[in-house]
Amino acid sequence: MSSELSAVLQLAALIGALALVYRPLGDYLAAVYRSGRHLRAERWIYRCVGADPDTAMRWPAYLRGVLAFSGVSVLFLYLLQRVQGGLPLSLGFSSITPAQAFNTAASFVSNTNWQSYAGEQAMGHVVQTAGLAVQNFLSAAVGIAVAIALVRGFARSRTGELGNFWADLVRTVVRVLIPLSVIAAVVLVACGAIQNFAGIHEVGQLTGGSRQLNGGAVASQEAIKEIGTNGGGFFNANSAFPFENPNAFTNLFEIFLILVIPFALTRTFGVLVGNVRQGYAILAAMGLIWLGFTALMMWTEFHHGGPALQAAGGAMEGKEQRFGVGASSIFATSTTLTSTGAVDAMHSSFTGFGGGIALLGMMLGEIAPGGVGSGLYGMLVMAVIAVFIAGLMVGRTPEYLGKKIGSREIKLAACYILVTPALALGFTAVSMVLSTPPDSILNTAGNATGHSGAHGFSEVLYAFTSGANNNGSAFAGLGANTDWYNTTIGLAMLLGRFLPMVFVLALAGSLAEQKPVPETAGTLRTEKPLFAGLLVGAVIIVTGLTYFPALALGPMAEGLS
Amino acid sequence: MSTTTPVRPALDGTSPHRHDPDGGRVSGGLFDPRQLLTSLPDAFRKLDPRVMAKSPVMFVVEIGSVLTTVLAATDPGDWFGWAITAWLWLTVLFANLAEAVAEGRGKAQADTLRKAKTDTEARRLADGGEERVPGTALRVGDLVVCEAGDVIPGDGDVVEGVASVDESAITGESAPVIRESGGDRCAVTGGTKVLSDRIVIKITARPGETFIDRMINLVEGAARQKTPNEIALNILLASLTIVFLLAVVTLQPFAIYAGAEQTMIVLTALLVCLIPTTIGALLSAIGIAGMDRLVQRNVLAMSGRAVEAAGDVSTLLLDKTGTITLGNRQAAEFVPVDGATEAELADAAQLSSLADETPEGRSIVVLAKEVYGLRARHEGELGHAASLTFVPFTAQTRMSGVDVDGTSVRKGAAGAVMAWVRERGGLIPADAQEKVDAISAAGGTPLLVAADGAGSPSVLGVIHLKDVVKEGMRERFDELRRMGIKTVMITGDNPLTAKAIAAEAGVDDFLAEATPEDKMALIKREQAGGKLVAMTGDGPKKAPALAPGRRRRGHETPARRPPRRPGTWSTWTPTRPSSSRSWRSANSC
Repeated sequence: MSSELSAVLQLAALIGALALVYRPLGDYLAAVYRSGRHLRAERWIYRCVGADPDTAMRWPAYLRGVLAFSGVSVLFLYLLQRVQGGLPLSLGFSSITPAQAFNTAASFVSNTNWQSYAGEQAMGHVVQTAGLAVQNFLSAAVGIAVAIALVRGFARSRTGELGNFWADLVRTVVRVLIPLSVIAAVVLVACGAIQNFAGIHEVGQLTGGSRQLNGGAVASQEAIKEIGTNGGGFFNANSAFPFENPNAFTNLFEIFLILVIPFALTRTFGVLVGNVRQGYAILAAMGLIWLGFTALMMWTEFHHGGPALQAAGGAMEGKEQRFGVGASSIFATSTTLTSTGAVDAMHSSFTGFGGGIALLGMMLGEIAPGGVGSGLYGMLVMAVIAVFIAGLMVGRTPEYLGKKIGSREIKLAACYILVTPALALGFTAVSMVLSTPPDSILNTAGNATGHSGAHGFSEVLYAFTSGANNNGSAFAGLGANTDWYNTTIGLAMLLGRFLPMVFVLALAGSLAEQKPVPETAGTLRTEKPLFAGLLVGAVIIVTGLTYFPALALGPMAEGLS
Repeated sequence: MSTTTPVRPALDGTSPHRHDPDGGRVSGGLFDPRQLLTSLPDAFRKLDPRVMAKSPVMFVVEIGSVLTTVLAATDPGDWFGWAITAWLWLTVLFANLAEAVAEGRGKAQADTLRKAKTDTEARRLADGGEERVPGTALRVGDLVVCEAGDVIPGDGDVVEGVASVDESAITGESAPVIRESGGDRCAVTGGTKVLSDRIVIKITARPGETFIDRMINLVEGAARQKTPNEIALNILLASLTIVFLLAVVTLQPFAIYAGAEQTMIVLTALLVCLIPTTIGALLSAIGIAGMDRLVQRNVLAMSGRAVEAAGDVSTLLLDKTGTITLGNRQAAEFVPVDGATEAELADAAQLSSLADETPEGRSIVVLAKEVYGLRARHEGELGHAASLTFVPFTAQTRMSGVDVDGTSVRKGAAGAVMAWVRERGGLIPADAQEKVDAISAAGGTPLLVAADGAGSPSVLGVIHLKDVVKEGMRERFDELRRMGIKTVMITGDNPLTAKAIAAEAGVDDFLAEATPEDKMALIKREQAGGKLVAMTGDGPKKAPALAPGRRRRGHETPARRPPRRPGTWSTWTPTRPSSSRSWRSANSC
């Protein structure tokens, strides 16, 4: 079997599996957020944190909940890392430096999971399990809660109330993320991923010498790492490491886990707004972009070309022998289009264009299908803009799902789309101008001038794009553990996560206050393929034009050279 | 004379009735090089940054132009810098020119309107006498007299008398129209001319706020406010401009790193290429030109908001009389009863209607002539003047007719005429009642005709009076339906008649025996479902039903003035649901 055919078959199996769980999972999620009942475990949690799960919140209250909860999480995670040296089960690792601790705290709370440390050489069991793994659940739940709030904004009228943040948060963790993670972890353990609290082992290497390796609760962290589109690996090599991702099946299974909730949320959206076909249109737009990117990535990786290939003599550089080009390509587009950032191959070693596709995937704003929750709300904001443009073409005040898109809605949507490009491009530009940050670009070897050229630029651009869009994957080759990168990327992650949430929740509040506009024959049909196409066009054009100059100087220059 | 004028389809630009090009209007769409030239100075005047700042996109281009000019001046030998500079300035100027041309068109149109508003002298009634005052001195509530040849000095209602008025100055329609006190035809417009008779007008508009003043302001663009969609679009364009500004500003550090530093001129040129200049440049020109076009089609929108609101209308209420139908019932058919011929009936019907000056009576004579070739006879042809007596219609007898040479002819309500025949010893044919009922069921009005010549009274037949639906209504309603607009006909007729007319005209729904309260209830019901309701009709008395929605809008009144004549001006009175948030925010912008 040729490797191309195997890739296509894997892709088909993946799509089949996603299609199979789409309806049941989407409907289940809708039922979770509609339910008026609290489980006993949930009631116990509410009592512990002193939250009333039944008060209906308007958007400022909901936002305060999101920000307060996340603020406390950042602080807790920061302190936990700072005192690691004194904690039990720390495997002898010392406390993390302030800049790196801030970066890591921001990273895990913002669902980015950018790692400027190597897991097996820095984090002990307590930080990994009680800090990082817990945030993997909570940050994902915050994203889903905000998305549900926006959906309620569309579904509700004349109220302004968006539900209860604490109920949404706790339910997401208790009823969705934990059960799914348990199932996924069991599957992963059964397939060979490790799950223990072992200490450090000295293991011999094929190339001679030895290295130190520690065990850990890997399978469980791996499960939520993918399900919550987090991406922070237990080990530095992330999903390329056999303890995290033992074989080709677990690789495909992990891709499935990454995509399952973001795609299913479109069904939830359709159910909650009372028209599942609206959800299908969003799904179609997401699916089209995801499939297109995957096909492009496979094509460019199979097609060879680019300096990495010429140097290594094959498109396998930076890819795992266990997975091959095809599976690595699917993984790479899935992880960059979902704000996951887990990797099973080194994106830096992809061909010039391949790296560009991964980069562009993040630049789209993580909306196809995007992170858990964040993908849905990101796509819905783009839908608001697409509806507005289309509405002007037909000469009616644009409306989406019975809500008028007026200047207030457009103002909020415009602010939303401004945030990430501003952060990504702004920080990259400053980093390129300053004298020291470019020194972190490591792979200047073999270059007489000590200048890393287009590839080096791509590394920096990738780092800030990844941070601002809450992806977390990295273009290897950038020594990001400096005070500059730890601080700026940390800021990019926090602002890139929570500023858009402010605008999304304000938008949700504004929509929920409106009276519904009845649908007439003149209403733009937002459940039709035409609209899905329009949405894809709006996404590609808005982001494409924003980042084109930067992409031209980075990956495209490299790919064409 | 008839008070009904031919209908001008307001929505249909291809109608042969459209304004004649010589009517003093500026035709749209034609490219006029002279206009470009005259607009050029305006285009330069608009380079003032204070004016440019209103359009953020073009403001950025102007700043870029200044920047490249300075840079090119510091390096005068660089032809590339000069070329870019010229190109950028041309871009800005073109945008300004487009706006200036649109405004220029509006101004030309306003000038022709101003001609209609020549300084008039008003004859104001005061303390039993008349005084001559300038038209501008008139206040609301003043009474003025206009006689044949006078120009009406201001907007008002006729409170006394009937006159024919030439309104070609504002409508472009040359046929004079009737304005009379009371009823739906009492409103007159300043600047129009009285052709006959004498009327007393009560002024209803302050000087400077009259119909013509508003029109002038509108077409000149002075009163043009940004519409909600325009504001939203501007926000989107501004945010795209910021995005691209970011992309270009950050490009320089990247380029320096890549060893390909670019000049400021190149970056400025790139920025201008990226930002949405085309839409940004033409947005206000589009707005002005749009208003201009509407006026050319005899649609007067009181603001851009009203136009946008009209685009959102989902329910349209139409008055039956004058809007859907021609306004008067007309004879459509002569139905003879057993024992009478159609010709006999037509002859008797015509005879009985000769003196009948009501539109219904006229239409009977017309039908008799058109269908049966019966010439209208003059009184002299009918024998001895002494034996000729016209019996007028009264509310008591409910019939009218004529007595001539010993023969009496009567036409009128079925019951009254039957009673008249029985009283004289005549018999009612068996099918008479049947035919009367059939016409009623079909939505028509039956008029029974009977004759009594030499003591043998007999019923001849029934005249079918019909509400005549204007031509092309069905097509127009189909068109509205395709646009997603539901049409509701409002009429005081009984449900049976209303249903028949509604079916013939093709409206979606109807409200029969409508009282103002019924109308209000209907509007409220539609609005409660979030729908935007518009009303159209030819009577000023019909608009108040929409008042609750209108009051909310403060100074914003999309269409205050009733149309001058049925069908000539389309009046849109869109109302928003009263608690709509979008209005509040729109007003605060």
